[in-house]
Amino acid sequence: MADALHTLSAAELGRRLAAGTLTSRALCEALIARHQAVNDKVGAFTHLDQADVLAQADASDARRKAGQGRGPLEGIPVAIKDNIAVKGQPLTCSSKMLAPLVSPYDSYVAERLRAAGAILYGRLNMDEFAMGSSTENSALRKTFNPWDLARIPGGSSGGSAAALAAGLVPLSLGSDTGGSIRQPASHCGVVGLKPTYGLISRFGLVAFASSLDQIGPMARSVEDCELLLNALASADARDMTCFGPSDRTLAAAGDAKKLRIGIPKGFLGKGVAPEVAAAVNAAVEFYRAQGCAISEVELPSADLAVPTYYVVATAEASSNLGRYDGVRYGHRSAVAGTPVEMMTASRSEGFGPEVKRRILLGTFVLSAGYADAYYVRALRARAKIRAEYLAALAGVDVLLTPTVPTPAFKVGEKASDPLQLYLEDIFTIPANLAGLPAISVPCGKSGHLPVGFHLVGAPLSEVKLLAAGRLFEAAHGYAHQQAAL
Amino acid sequence: MAEGFDIDHLAKLARLSLTAEEKALYSSQLNQILGHFQALANADLPATIDDARVVDEAALRSDEPGPVLGAEAVTRIAPASRDGQISVPRVVDDES
Repeated sequence: MADALHTLSAAELGRRLAAGTLTSRALCEALIARHQAVNDKVGAFTHLDQADVLAQADASDARRKAGQGRGPLEGIPVAIKDNIAVKGQPLTCSSKMLAPLVSPYDSYVAERLRAAGAILYGRLNMDEFAMGSSTENSALRKTFNPWDLARIPGGSSGGSAAALAAGLVPLSLGSDTGGSIRQPASHCGVVGLKPTYGLISRFGLVAFASSLDQIGPMARSVEDCELLLNALASADARDMTCFGPSDRTLAAAGDAKKLRIGIPKGFLGKGVAPEVAAAVNAAVEFYRAQGCAISEVELPSADLAVPTYYVVATAEASSNLGRYDGVRYGHRSAVAGTPVEMMTASRSEGFGPEVKRRILLGTFVLSAGYADAYYVRALRARAKIRAEYLAALAGVDVLLTPTVPTPAFKVGEKASDPLQLYLEDIFTIPANLAGLPAISVPCGKSGHLPVGFHLVGAPLSEVKLLAAGRLFEAAHGYAHQQAAL
Repeated sequence: MAEGFDIDHLAKLARLSLTAEEKALYSSQLNQILGHFQALANADLPATIDDARVVDEAALRSDEPGPVLGAEAVTRIAPASRDGQISVPRVVDDES
């Protein structure tokens, strides 16, 4: 094989597997060798059961040989963020609260991947319970940006993005509550898509903020991202927010060269690093040169997005994480006493600092005397933000901004200032608040660090976003990029 | 906007036990974050709230029994179990 297998796209690997020039076992053995050489440097994975991977690969090869291949993902490894349940694999959310837990069941997306013949390949590091933008909040290990090992990979799906950029796996799954797929994708030079709220079932996703959480695909190219999305998007009655079969018709891609692209006023100004602004402006000019109509749009309540998000998300988190009481699963303190003392000790020992901070904040904004001033006002602000985004998207097909205002920062640089870290998500949060699909696509570098641009579309416009991304990546060299390690 | 912020009361509500150092740190950080939330207090907002739905139809499933994990799988992941049941600290006293 002339090309190192870890450098190839999922689409190319699929072609070779289909042609019989590659087996899933050979592919998995190559990736395991890559894992042994690189994962300790990058820290993307928290768990990889090599024997189980090879058994899955052999089963896939046997299916293919018997003419029972299950489609384009047959035999291709997909690594999974550690808050998505896979039966028989650890499900820790990178938290001491859950650290020894092995999932007794498959999430919906794991079921879909198995049905598609994919190899469920290892567990990826994340910020504890998906709370963070740097993966520094993991209680299990540190993850580093493959492009600069002194810097963060982004988060909370930092392991999912770093694994791709390091050539450890061709496809990964992340979850996105305020930017947790798109922000690390931008920092690691890969593609990440947050689908429309309701497109992919969250059955088996550990809940953080249920009105915002979505599972989404990540890959080194838009084409691969679409391949994975297609395997995941289907109706599932076990998640009542998931679209039914009749509601989920995706908008047609149309001609990407005729897209109407809106640039939100002021989004490329204050707080955006000059190199980031330059790379994103170059992407805008590329689309203009292709024939797309570029116009400026107004989103007057954009400044409310971060406070609105942190009120809604922490309120929901404080409720969702109430289930960790040391009774049914997860950490139970050895401190003896009353049930309440046991619960309090279990939670205090099991949760890390950022999770505690958000539970306290969420408890406050929901508490008697303050809920109207914070939580209810945040819901009203959310309605306003959503209405403004939908109004803007009535006049254009997509909104284009940077994904993140600045390139990846150094490990520890923002660890003592949570508010600064929260502002990392300023461009990605509105899509979650409004339930809209959004994608981050690599568009350049700031020095040696990747920069991505961000497209947001109307509900169920994923195919349009992907078509726009493909148009850009076909003309640039950022697809399939990997860091030298 | 954050007057009345009481870290001891919050910790009790959240079932968290905090050290003196943690109380000082979280009080300071939460005050800073709540200061940033001041933008919400000053904003002109609609009277309606957002229920986060993208489609108007509620996707309610029928209320029928479905597959469950079963006692063996559930007790296997429990912190402590006995005779096929999850065990917890004593909740009621012997005297009744």
